[in-house]
Amino acid sequence: MGFFSKFRKKSPWILHYNTGGCNGCDIEILAALGPKYDIERFGMLNRGNPKQSDILLVTGPVTKHCKDVLRRLYLEMPEPKVVVAMGACAHGGGIFRDFYHVENGVDNIIPVDVWIPGCAPRVEAVIDGMVEAVEIWQQKTKEKEYMRNHNEVIHKLGVEDDG
Amino acid sequence: MIGILFTIFAPIIGGFVYGFERIIKARMQSRVGPPLLQPFYDFFKLMDKRALMIHSLHALMGIMYFISEWFAFGVLILGHDLLIAVFFHVIAVLALVIGASSVRSPYSVLGGLRELMHMISYEPLMVLMVIAFYVVTGSFNIENILHFDGYPILQLPLVFIAFVLTIPMLLQKSPFDIAEAHQELIGGPEIEYSGPFYEALYTGKWIEYLYVFTFVFLFAGSHYIVGAFLVIGVFLFINLLDNSTARLDFRRMVKFAWALLIPMAALNVILLAL
Repeated sequence: MGFFSKFRKKSPWILHYNTGGCNGCDIEILAALGPKYDIERFGMLNRGNPKQSDILLVTGPVTKHCKDVLRRLYLEMPEPKVVVAMGACAHGGGIFRDFYHVENGVDNIIPVDVWIPGCAPRVEAVIDGMVEAVEIWQQKTKEKEYMRNHNEVIHKLGVEDDG
Repeated sequence: MIGILFTIFAPIIGGFVYGFERIIKARMQSRVGPPLLQPFYDFFKLMDKRALMIHSLHALMGIMYFISEWFAFGVLILGHDLLIAVFFHVIAVLALVIGASSVRSPYSVLGGLRELMHMISYEPLMVLMVIAFYVVTGSFNIENILHFDGYPILQLPLVFIAFVLTIPMLLQKSPFDIAEAHQELIGGPEIEYSGPFYEALYTGKWIEYLYVFTFVFLFAGSHYIVGAFLVIGVFLFINLLDNSTARLDFRRMVKFAWALLIPMAALNVILLAL
């Protein structure tokens, strides 16, 4: 915790990624950015760029096509970073659970820090989740973070030397 | 003395301008908006991120952009040749383009190419504007322009209008935010920068605000209060334009600049010089 860590809570930048949900959650996120709730008051911005973002806000049940993109987005974000899973689908597949094309939730791919329940969650719940994410974010350090099965994935790809 | 202070504290003053602009923008969209110090909070937060680098030239060019931008502003405000300030600004933008083209991300490369389109559109006009100042005040030196009795804007109305319509190209505002294009290119040249290196670009942008609005200020000559009103008016107009228009194609921008703005400014200069 240095001098600059105090300013983290003032400007969390969000990267929003939909992994195949129904877009209900995404509309709630856009509502949070709009005039009524206006989360830019708290310095939050929807950046759309993993290299400059701090909070990864994932919605949807993670389809097999999205899996690698989600993993890549997570690895491209510089630490400290927080992952927020939003909506019932992201929690374990929701209505899509055990379908042939889904991975049953975000936690099967990348480690999740905050869960926002609901289908779709209200905007108040989104803001609440963001506040909690910022609290967790403040505890984190600049140390490199990996997925749970990182070594396995690297071994499968055969790119151990790149590290 | 004021010039030296302005140059040293350029990033801080520019940060306040940018914070103020974010509030104005939010109010125009009937939102509350972030606090005034928000750019500095962002700055400190980016300081705390792990530094990720694509390769060293890319990072160097990001820092180079910041330094040349600051240098251009310093040259402009410390009373040297206006033309040299314009050319240092060219170096800053070129550094950005070289950095953007040196990585494999297609968004970054496309953003760099579009940045060159921006340069094609506004640089001739900047030079024409400096020449117009020379025709009116008889000097390229900012000191002489700031002590010029009379209003250059009264003799250069078309140049002023052309320059105001060029500011969206310089500051990456809608309808001419073609290189940055947040929805299609996600930042364009700045997409691959992260953490402390993105900070250099972020701060360079604040200094660019000061650089541009100094030129607006010069249009009032030695009447500083009128100049201040000009700056505020243009600032509000640019934000209004930014909030109320959609992004155009880059061909439209180049056509607009070369078919309308540059002939307009040239006509004014020619009529004045006759």
